[in-house]
Amino acid sequence: MVLMQIAEPGASETSPEGPRKVGVGIDLGTTNSLIAHFDGDRLSVLPDEAGAMSLPSVAYYGQAEVIVGDAAVVLAAEHSADTIASAKRFMGKSRDEVSDEGYLEFADEGMAFATTRGPVTPVEVSADILRALAFRANLAGFDQLDGVVITVPAYFDDAQRQATRQAAELAGLPVLRLLNEPTAAAIAYGLDSAEEGVVAVYDLGGGTFDISILRLERGVFEVLATGGDSGLGGDDFDRLLADHLTAAAALDNLTIGQRRGVIACARGVKELLSEQISCTVSLDHIVAGTGEVVVDRSTLNGLCGELVNRSLDACRQCIEDAGIEQVDRIILVGGSTRMPLIKEAAAKLFGREPLTHIDPDQVVAMGAARQADLLVGNRGKDDLLLLDVIPLSLGVETYGGLVERLVHRNTTIPVVRAQEFTTARDGQTGLLVHVVQGERERVEDCRSLARFELSGIPPMVAGAARILVTFQVDADGLLEVSAKEESTGETAHVVVKPSFGLADTTIAEMLRAGYENAGTDMQARQLTEARVDAEQLAAGIYAALKVDGDLLDESERGDLLSAVQGLEATADGDDVEAIRSAVEHTGKVSELFAARRMDQSIQQALGGISLEALEQEVGE
Amino acid sequence: MMEASVDREARSPRDYFELFQLPADFDLDSEDLSRRFKVLQKQFHPDRFAGKAPAEQRVAAQLSAELNAGFQTLKDDVKRAGFMLERLGVDLKALEREPVDGDFLLQQIELRESASMILSAEEKQRDPQAVAALHESTHALYDEWLSAFRRTIADGELESAGRAWVKLLYLSKLRAELPPVQALETS
Repeated sequence: MVLMQIAEPGASETSPEGPRKVGVGIDLGTTNSLIAHFDGDRLSVLPDEAGAMSLPSVAYYGQAEVIVGDAAVVLAAEHSADTIASAKRFMGKSRDEVSDEGYLEFADEGMAFATTRGPVTPVEVSADILRALAFRANLAGFDQLDGVVITVPAYFDDAQRQATRQAAELAGLPVLRLLNEPTAAAIAYGLDSAEEGVVAVYDLGGGTFDISILRLERGVFEVLATGGDSGLGGDDFDRLLADHLTAAAALDNLTIGQRRGVIACARGVKELLSEQISCTVSLDHIVAGTGEVVVDRSTLNGLCGELVNRSLDACRQCIEDAGIEQVDRIILVGGSTRMPLIKEAAAKLFGREPLTHIDPDQVVAMGAARQADLLVGNRGKDDLLLLDVIPLSLGVETYGGLVERLVHRNTTIPVVRAQEFTTARDGQTGLLVHVVQGERERVEDCRSLARFELSGIPPMVAGAARILVTFQVDADGLLEVSAKEESTGETAHVVVKPSFGLADTTIAEMLRAGYENAGTDMQARQLTEARVDAEQLAAGIYAALKVDGDLLDESERGDLLSAVQGLEATADGDDVEAIRSAVEHTGKVSELFAARRMDQSIQQALGGISLEALEQEVGE
Repeated sequence: MMEASVDREARSPRDYFELFQLPADFDLDSEDLSRRFKVLQKQFHPDRFAGKAPAEQRVAAQLSAELNAGFQTLKDDVKRAGFMLERLGVDLKALEREPVDGDFLLQQIELRESASMILSAEEKQRDPQAVAALHESTHALYDEWLSAFRRTIADGELESAGRAWVKLLYLSKLRAELPPVQALETS
């Protein structure tokens, strides 16, 4: 790999040294999960030994073992308390944020389910599902995964995203990116048709509803707006229908197990009613002696009308946020969109017949696999670039418990935004920066992400200090916040980590244990890796200096050369930490050079190119 | 406790016109801008630097963020106008604090009053004609001040251009708060 080399657009980078890297995409769903792979040519979902593509997101925590998937579903009726389904609904939430839905038993403390194996957190359940999926990659012949892209609902907030990252970490998977589910679906369709235009993705999963509007133009996928409802999904339809069945069959005082049985039955009825307009159901296997109930599609439609309307309201808001007049294509994602009621409602609202030719259950994992392949560094001919947005606004708390937003939702990332603040009281020497996420005006209605303090502000009258607060969101959606007092240069900063989850000591402990068990040959490997990093960096800088050395003046070149020589000397030793910090230092010193080289290539990319030539080049 | 400072946003260090290799004119072809934005993002987005040296990734992230900010600034008439003034050394914050002429303010108050009158009614009860008329008068004013800005900035009359920009700022806020246009019933 030649470092510091700046690729021309469309230039071939397909001559990898070594084998093609393995990236996989995972759709970690509320009811079903999938794993898919892109081999540079074809997208495929990776099956289990029996050839099943989708894995029920259900795990059984019995005395002896943990069982995931279909086998756990079978155990659910008899061992309801030990069988956890829909754990995704609880990711990144605290106990008091989730309503007791009547069929789950929670542990006495923290956000965990009570099972025979003791308390199990939603993160652990998700990790077990991820392990089961990763095993499918092994079955497919991939011994090692270089990178994983996991999809999340676009509307997931930071805590929910962090919990998802933790689950992957716990499962030992290298996560490159969390990708929004609708965006992943659009990528799969974008590759499929390569048609340009505005695409709306209506994604109704088991537990969440997402709507996203994207524009595909010149190989760039630009997310225009995204929205949704994190508390609306196919499960809600199942529960409404289950209530209807319970009432119609005059059942009461159901146990948790029986209630679950009715919900499972309702799901079956719902799916059947996508194919036929009426069906007869017996609950006799759940409560003996129960008569048959007839359910019409129109009854189901009547029950679900209000929920569907809620999804349409979110769509209208998203269209407005995107600032577009009409969409060219509409994609339906998620099993629930098989319901005729939803197909018709979406078609009517957007004035287009929805596309459904990629299996709505598989399309998300496939799009994620494509993105994973790109992010592990494999390059293809049809390189799509995804310009994603942040789903929720980010801001800080100001005087009086109000929120001052620095980065608005639907802003394209990466983004850097800075704003000046001042002190509220005379002689104030410290400033608490409280970082929040959400759309509401008051702090208590938003989600708290982090707090940190800037101290050492010289005492002044209120309003005289100038404190620059900078928000930086990288392409992964990770937020870093810093504060700087401008007269003294005093700074403080924080990389936003989860406020739930990592604070959850059990998980922190489990992660630590995971690292410690990694073995002693780790050290030798780390030294080798650090040396390779050092060699590559030095080689890259020398090569770049040869081509573009004139971009630096003599003293700048001298600084860079002495850093590289220091790096080479350090790499001859065997102090891992010293080598790493020399790599870090040399990297920092080389940023100026890298920036000048990129500026130079802006001119190469645009300068002198006439409009028509430009059009032709990107049209390829 | 912290308070939002009067001096709100940090000044951007980049000349966005230069970044996109465009002449610093108010009139700009938005298709062309979008094309340039996409060509550059395709080359410099951090996703293109997977597996590269961290220093390069940081520089790419910085450049990519600047491209995003520049694109958002230049594609929006009012933001572009503000940026042009700032680029020529005008202090926008000071400009915003200057008093606005009375006639214009009176006009704004009237437009806002009719907007809030319409908004206080249920959407179905609103008079589509009144909504359309409100949009029309707001847009006409907006276009008028946009032309004023275009003319004055081209002639280097920074003070007049600054005053026009302040009015555009008022009008763009008003436009965002107008009741949505309803389909006129065809008889």
